[in-house]
Amino acid sequence: MSKRRSEAQESGQTVFIVEDDHAVGEALCALFDSAGILAKHFSSAEVFLEAWNHSMTGCLVLDVRLPGMSGLELQTRLREQGVGLPVILMTAHGDIPMVRKALKGGAVEFLTKPFQDEELLRAVAQAFTLERTRREEEQILNSIRARMDLLTERERLVMDRIATGSMNKEIAAELGVSEITVKVHRRQVMEKMQATSFAELVQMYERIKAAERKLLVS
Amino acid sequence: MKAMSKQAVTWIEAHVAKPLLIAVFFVLVALLWTFLLQHVVAYPFVFLFFGAIMGSAWFGGLVAGLWAILLSSLLIDFFFMPPLYSMTVAHELRTYQEAFIICAIAITVISVVRRRAENAVRAARDELEDRVRERTAELEQSYLEIRDRERQLRLLAEAIPQHIWRADAAGHIEYCNRDLIEFTGKSAAELQEEDLDSIFHVSDAPIFRQSWAAARHGGQQFESQLRVRSASGGYRWFLIRGIPQHTVTGEVSAWYGVHIDIEEQYHAQQALLLAQGDSARWSRMLSMAEMAASIAHELKQPLTALMAHAQACRRWLHAEPMRTDKAIQAADSLVRESARASAVIDHVRALFSEKDRFREPTDLNALFHDVAQLLRDESVRQGVLLCMDLSEGLPLIVVDPVQVRQLMMNLVLNGIEAASHAGRAGKVTLRTVMNSREEVTISVLDNGVGLSAEAREKMFEPFFTTKPQGTGIGLAICRSIAEAHDGRIWAEPLEQGTAFHVVLGSGQ
Repeated sequence: MSKRRSEAQESGQTVFIVEDDHAVGEALCALFDSAGILAKHFSSAEVFLEAWNHSMTGCLVLDVRLPGMSGLELQTRLREQGVGLPVILMTAHGDIPMVRKALKGGAVEFLTKPFQDEELLRAVAQAFTLERTRREEEQILNSIRARMDLLTERERLVMDRIATGSMNKEIAAELGVSEITVKVHRRQVMEKMQATSFAELVQMYERIKAAERKLLVS
Repeated sequence: MKAMSKQAVTWIEAHVAKPLLIAVFFVLVALLWTFLLQHVVAYPFVFLFFGAIMGSAWFGGLVAGLWAILLSSLLIDFFFMPPLYSMTVAHELRTYQEAFIICAIAITVISVVRRRAENAVRAARDELEDRVRERTAELEQSYLEIRDRERQLRLLAEAIPQHIWRADAAGHIEYCNRDLIEFTGKSAAELQEEDLDSIFHVSDAPIFRQSWAAARHGGQQFESQLRVRSASGGYRWFLIRGIPQHTVTGEVSAWYGVHIDIEEQYHAQQALLLAQGDSARWSRMLSMAEMAASIAHELKQPLTALMAHAQACRRWLHAEPMRTDKAIQAADSLVRESARASAVIDHVRALFSEKDRFREPTDLNALFHDVAQLLRDESVRQGVLLCMDLSEGLPLIVVDPVQVRQLMMNLVLNGIEAASHAGRAGKVTLRTVMNSREEVTISVLDNGVGLSAEAREKMFEPFFTTKPQGTGIGLAICRSIAEAHDGRIWAEPLEQGTAFHVVLGSGQ
């Protein structure tokens, strides 16, 4: 437990509780405190959105019934804004359609009040893992994107084509340059992208494309 | 002028000429006979003249009598008084003549008076005879009219497409119209013998018997909705109305009954009632579900907090090293949250608080009557007889009539349900008993199968029910209503069934 506590605290992962009932919010904070998890209580969806910035990492514990924007609406709003924070929903009386909607919207867990601490902590641990993976992925993508930004327009075109398997000769014909020029561009790309092998370059390229596709889908 | 002279002529004829003629006739007859008898009787014989005067007065009245006296005096003087054949009278015979005249006048007067009296008697007798004849004719006429009217009424009774009967004061059927006989397929004699009872549906017959007996007891009109068995064996719903006929002294002399076929109306009405009942039950269930959800939410919030604090407390106690300070903090939170949960419950209770409700002096018998009226159809449908056993002269009790009516409704409905499953003729009795000027006990007794000891113990608890579709709050509501009125409610097992008693008082 102490290991997980330090791990979570080191990574700065926090549980963001959005709950209009202060007593419940405080009690959940106390529970997370006892489990060595950082927690912060927000009294409404609007208050949370105001406080939100990209550096905040961890997971959301949302009450479904909130004054103003409901928990399910907040979940949808965050997804639309590309905020990938994992969501745990809780309610005093949930029905099947509500649960289905929440889980379809990517909720990690749906808890019915009152719940056992294990249920909540297990869900939070799961959410933290998800968040960590997501953050690492994000980091990798960001560094790839940063390197890609160094490429000239022509180098970008060349990379697009070599990553999808075109031969130098084909690229030269397509772009209307000599094969030697293509080879020079290729070397530049490998260098700027810090790729040790051609395979690594393709991998980086695929990662970026996959992230773009995912963004498009959501 | 002419008319007057004609009248005068008639008057003269009647009062002068006719009496004169009569007098002349009688006097001439007397004269003739006196002449004949003169040869036999030596002394001047005047008695026949008396007869003539009497006859004239008798038949011609006073005027004729006076004419006869005048004529007789002159004729006697001329023919029979010496000197004969002269109008002079011998001195010694003057007294005789005067005596004759006086006697003649007396005879005339007596004769006239007698005649008048006799005429009066005759006139009276004639009048009486006339009157008797008239009266007889009238009676005959009215007898004919009555017979005619009776025939019309009978025709009408037979022609009306309803069932009609007539019973004597004791309730014995004397007459049934053709429709009733045809519908039931029983003869008039059979119906008379069986007192109508046998023609009703087995569960309706007691209702009829009861209201019929009550009506006869009080001499009051009665009305019931009952199923009547037809000749083919089926049943139809009838509105049965019995109306007493009173004598001048106020006693019931006969009963008239009408059965109106309400089969269609009854079913339409029942369908409507059922639909209303269903929708009422639905809306009640819905609102209860909503209420339950809202109460559940209100309670689950503090419970969530409580649970979280309790679990945090446990974690701090299990931690290495143990964090007593944090555990105490959590325990404090537990206490605080428990108080909050309790406050939520108080709040929910306050929402349903019975305080400050409308109260007024109320006749509990009248409320029971209302309830019986409202549940009459329900009881008939379940084949349960509702009996009223209400004490007279109850004091008015200060209660909320709407709530107490609800309480009575719930108890009677429960009673009807219990009695309908008893496997015998169901009966629910509504009773009021006066305990004091301030306190009344209302009771609902059923003859159902009764309740188990466990059921009796728990039945006033919310959500306890023995019925498959029961909500289990009917009796709980009864208890809260009784308690809101500072009353008591309890159940008592009977030999057959259960009695529910509620004591209600006007309080301080």
